[in-house]
Amino acid sequence: MSTLRAMWRAVLLQVALSRRAPEHALILLIAPMQTTTMLALTVTSHRPDAVANAVLAPGLIGLWVAALDHAGRIVPEDRWAGRFTPMIAAPVPLGPVVAGRVAMVVLVGAAAFAESWLVAALGFGRVVAVADPALFAVAVAVTCLATIGTATLLSAVLVVSRARDVLQNSLGYPFYILGGILVPVAALPGWLHPFSRVVFLSWSAELLRGAVRGDADAWFRPVAAILGLGAAAMAAGLWLTRRYVDRSRREGMVEFA
Amino acid sequence: MEAAVHTSGLRRVYRRGRKDPVVALDDLTLTIERNEIHGLLGPNGAGKTTLVKILSTVLLPSGGSARILGHDVVADTRDVRSLIGLVLGGDRGLYDRLSARRNLLFWGALYRLDARTTRERADALLERVGLAERADDRVERFSRGMRQRLHLARGLLHEPRMLFLDEPTSGLDPVAAGAFRRLVLDLRAEGRTFLLATHDMDEATALCDRVTLIDRGRMLLSADTARVGRFLGERECVDFTHPDPSVAEGLALLPDVTGVERRDGAAWRVHTAGRDGSRRVLGWLLDRDVLTARRGEPSLEEVYLRAVGDRGMRV
Repeated sequence: MSTLRAMWRAVLLQVALSRRAPEHALILLIAPMQTTTMLALTVTSHRPDAVANAVLAPGLIGLWVAALDHAGRIVPEDRWAGRFTPMIAAPVPLGPVVAGRVAMVVLVGAAAFAESWLVAALGFGRVVAVADPALFAVAVAVTCLATIGTATLLSAVLVVSRARDVLQNSLGYPFYILGGILVPVAALPGWLHPFSRVVFLSWSAELLRGAVRGDADAWFRPVAAILGLGAAAMAAGLWLTRRYVDRSRREGMVEFA
Repeated sequence: MEAAVHTSGLRRVYRRGRKDPVVALDDLTLTIERNEIHGLLGPNGAGKTTLVKILSTVLLPSGGSARILGHDVVADTRDVRSLIGLVLGGDRGLYDRLSARRNLLFWGALYRLDARTTRERADALLERVGLAERADDRVERFSRGMRQRLHLARGLLHEPRMLFLDEPTSGLDPVAAGAFRRLVLDLRAEGRTFLLATHDMDEATALCDRVTLIDRGRMLLSADTARVGRFLGERECVDFTHPDPSVAEGLALLPDVTGVERRDGAAWRVHTAGRDGSRRVLGWLLDRDVLTARRGEPSLEEVYLRAVGDRGMRV
């Protein structure tokens, strides 16, 4: 119970921090431009069937950027600012606190979905109708949950890594491709498909497109896959964060401010 | 009743790749009684911070054991964390873009406090440390002294029985440092125990019941602050005031005198070889119409300087 309370406090902390840090909302400035570019391409190439893809892609990219960029900075920033030591000297473990903050960051990224839809409607006069709104809402919700889990793992991986900046800069496009964000997974070479299936974004992209088209019959399997992959990432992230704290205590990597 | 802190043969070694390992703490056995303010002194690199880190559970020892109020810092980490408060000096360690109150609300959750309790305690503590009127101001607008008081409020939020203070008044002006020390004394009166790591000898003398001096990871002495001068053996000193420097020059020639130093204006301190020497110096001063002179023991600072020697700039 107290760990959940700490998670919730971490969410509120991140809300307060993001309100005072305009850079946290950068993705909301980028998403309309991405939408504009993608929609312009689909319109000029006379592909009305790809409009939905062009609107959904910036939303998924927004989630991923939020996970990769902001979530990856949480622990290093706390460390640099001298908050890491009092945090690990507190009874609540660090992992759930990071997860709570990551959750808020991801929710900010999710707003890119709404922005993309508005850009298409207001800027291009293309109102993307969602054939199955309930499934679409479920798909967005489980995608956000899975992103929170994955972001918790990414946060831990980036902290443990000695090449944080390189990783952060290079983990964008591989996941946009494997996640079927830019083009559907079916359009990728066959040997990439098994790799795509372990990236939750590939399931999310298909489910979202299916909800927009209204032809997503077997929705249970992708929802389970998204949640399962997200939960596995969350568990791995919490485990890795604990390992990192233990290693810091063992090797004397914890500095006083 | 268990001591507030007890370490036995505590050892910490830092491995540095292919370089020789650094022994930061070596066989340190120390007891701090409950409700005591205990000073931890030593030059840079002596092992003070390493000891505080181990006792506050953020660093694991390489050997030996340490217990806080009966709980082992390695085996009972969670219990220990509920019992201790960590107050670090410096400008960092807080969320600068948030208000003092918001900072405390977040840290309260990390100590498993519910929202209502955290709010009540945060308000009370902000009042107590003199920040109530600035509670909703961003921390980035706070002076160093105000930040320090907020650090203390954070450390007290979960009502710990043992507090670790690391250079708490470093960089504070004398008024702010004095206020901070009074607050510490008030908190001790409530039954809390303090371990104060400091370089400030005046602070240690003013606050601490006992002090421990460590260097190169080893304990050099641990004693009541008032009696720490006895660690210099038979050495004593005589303090006197006289406007004429020739008196001091004459004193320096006496066989029992090991040194004469000017303290402040007309104030002098004479170091003697022992009690008999002090008596002879006092008699010599009386013969020269010196009206204010008193025998004393070397101060904590003198003991520190003699024990540490010329290590000041070396680590």
